[in-house]
Amino acid sequence: MFIGVTGYNHESSAALVDRNGVLVDFYREESLSRIKGDKSFPKMSIRKILCTNNLKVKDIERVAFYERPLSAFLHIVKEASMHMPKSLDLLTHQFRNFNRSSVSCYLDFAKFFKGLESKLIYSDHHLSHTLTALAYSDSKEDISSVVIDGFGDRSTASISQIVDPTEINELWECPYPVSLGLFYSSITDYLGFAINEGEYKVMGLASFGDSNSKSAKLVRGLMDWDSNSNKIISDMSYFDYHLSISKSYSSKLEELLGPARNPFVQLIPGNNDFQRCADIARGAQDLMIYLLGKIFTHAHKITHSRRFLFSGGVSMNSASIDSLAQLPFVDKIIIPPSPGDAGCAIGAAFYCYIKSSSYHHLKIEKPSLFPSQKEKRNDEFLTEQIISNEFSYLERDEDYAFLKAAELISEGKVIGTVLSRSETGPRALGNRSLICDGKNMNAVKNLNTVIKNRSSFRPTAPAMRYEIAEKYYKLRPEIYDCYKSMSATCKCLKDNVSSEFPTTHVDSTARIQIVEKNSYLYKLLSKLEPMGIEILANSSLNVSGDPTAFDLIDGLMVCLRTDLRYLLTDLGLLIRKT
Amino acid sequence: MKKINSELTIFFETAHAELASALEMLAVCKETDSPKQAFGYFMHAKDEYSHAKSFFNMLSLRGKSASIETARDFRFTPPSLITKGYISQKGFLIETMQLKDFIAFVYTNELLAKSSFEKILTLVGRSTEEGKRISGIMADELRHHGMAKKHFLIHYPALQPWQLMIYRTKETLNNKGRKIYDANLKFLDRLLTPLYRIMAFLAGTISKKLNLNEFKRKGKNLMNISTKSIL
Repeated sequence: MFIGVTGYNHESSAALVDRNGVLVDFYREESLSRIKGDKSFPKMSIRKILCTNNLKVKDIERVAFYERPLSAFLHIVKEASMHMPKSLDLLTHQFRNFNRSSVSCYLDFAKFFKGLESKLIYSDHHLSHTLTALAYSDSKEDISSVVIDGFGDRSTASISQIVDPTEINELWECPYPVSLGLFYSSITDYLGFAINEGEYKVMGLASFGDSNSKSAKLVRGLMDWDSNSNKIISDMSYFDYHLSISKSYSSKLEELLGPARNPFVQLIPGNNDFQRCADIARGAQDLMIYLLGKIFTHAHKITHSRRFLFSGGVSMNSASIDSLAQLPFVDKIIIPPSPGDAGCAIGAAFYCYIKSSSYHHLKIEKPSLFPSQKEKRNDEFLTEQIISNEFSYLERDEDYAFLKAAELISEGKVIGTVLSRSETGPRALGNRSLICDGKNMNAVKNLNTVIKNRSSFRPTAPAMRYEIAEKYYKLRPEIYDCYKSMSATCKCLKDNVSSEFPTTHVDSTARIQIVEKNSYLYKLLSKLEPMGIEILANSSLNVSGDPTAFDLIDGLMVCLRTDLRYLLTDLGLLIRKT
Repeated sequence: MKKINSELTIFFETAHAELASALEMLAVCKETDSPKQAFGYFMHAKDEYSHAKSFFNMLSLRGKSASIETARDFRFTPPSLITKGYISQKGFLIETMQLKDFIAFVYTNELLAKSSFEKILTLVGRSTEEGKRISGIMADELRHHGMAKKHFLIHYPALQPWQLMIYRTKETLNNKGRKIYDANLKFLDRLLTPLYRIMAFLAGTISKKLNLNEFKRKGKNLMNISTKSIL
């Protein structure tokens, strides 16, 4: 058995791969600790993996950490040292927190899981991303990998050619501090949203912006692609992320774009500062799409590949994937369901597996979208009193519960789901979801604003079968797999009724989910379609700012903390007592 | 401005503390083997979540009138629950404490929380909407304190109320100790910061000379890089 681990810099997680190349289990630390974006050493995840799979430390052959810790540390320090005394605070912070950085992962293993530290190996950060994406690809040979994130352990973007899982050659890199990911995060920060959390909001906000506006054009000019040197170029004087611990953009950016937004003032379409912020977001999104196009074109040029793995935090920018799919040389783009740092644990675990196997015996099995083991504890026993005091059963039998849930959805109600295993990635795909009729304006509004308390400019994703999606949206076969994990948006067909759906964004796009056969959402849709409902609005089951619900207790808690009344669970369909 | 800053700090820190309490309660709820206890901790967690939400709302209200620079400093990010020490890096309390000690901890700290809310109540005014909400929170804390006491005495009948008093005194002293430690730490930090900065400057001067070309991977097979190297 092999464990892969991420942590310290971004979301921490742990994954388990067995000797047959099968991803057995995967947990994000935030799911267990309930602290969104938890980046501490993933002790709860590792413990859960060991406990759920009846493993002891001696059963683990190797553990891989997803990056090379000292490399990550030194690159930041070296860059900051070039800008002293301005960067002195960052340097002081780095040195003072040296023992809390990923450099201490060996000691943390020794402290929490004695014995595992001696089995610890290290993988390159972007290699971990690549291997995660490779696991989700049908083909494991002759494919190109593009990794773009904020910062890995030495570069911020890279292109590799995968000959086979044992030969992955890096051909191009974008060195720190120039970073497409950190640029987008800086704009996120400038717009008053939290870094690593608010990027989705910037993406949603961009649809309200005008590419021809002055602000958008100014942002668009902050970075560029140099065709002679094949490099991303950036005027770093607009950014402080490489110099400061508290601020990612410089005062020069404020001089250029005006004052940053106060994070406590709500952004509401039509309000005073809304359009300026939307235009800035539009500029950032345009620049993102432009540079991604350049990087993919360069990747094709140097690898001659037409099939691409795409991972790293930037690949979560679902609004740019449709443009990439339209590049003439692209046959296929694979984005893993968890393309950010949390998903790297999967790649790190496969790294152990590959390093421990001879090539002839290598067999990396494509993981499902729901790998975490079902909770083996008796949910019914533990939640007995919570349910009897606060909820009632509407239906206990699974088939009837689904039928009843379908009836409620057809009546315009919102249903929460806590079914079987939770999703690998950050997007809820039906097992930990809030769902309602995707064409019912009031129901979607209720889900989005009353229950989720989301910003009014953020759309809700529609989920449907492939045959239904074809009727309404311009689908691209190159990114078909991306639709299964909500990793790409698509445009509504021209003059199509879908542009009026409440799940359609202001720019006539939707981040659709094509529901996999044999999934719970598929089962629910099969009950709903005879009732005339073919599209579900699907959002994650959580209270705004919290991680997605992990177990039944979390789901019950969401019900009690919000206006959600119905919960479809493995125990049956529950209704909250009023 | 100074007033806004101090108010923001109070609501910011209190919201952190309440949210951390919610997570601690949820963790116990999931750890316990008794459905009855799970229900109790679940409802307690729900209350704490609600308290945290109230304090975040009060923070948000004041944050709107703060300068952008100040407001940015009070933007909540969940991992700060750990970095600020509201949740221990070692894990949740239930992972490091015996259940008995945990209940005594709740018994004491709910009461201490109530008394600290008195100060916030004075700040916002008793008759205001916020004042009424804080009074409600204080009533909740008192109820939690009573429940913890009841639970303790039922499950540990060999212990007497006066023994709880010892727990309370001990925890009160611990709390005071933590505050003194924290104040000393801050004082020491102020005192040593120039030294740290000089050291960072020297280390930075050396770092400038680092040649990181060694780390370049262009043209290399990434699978062949040493598995043991942290560089």
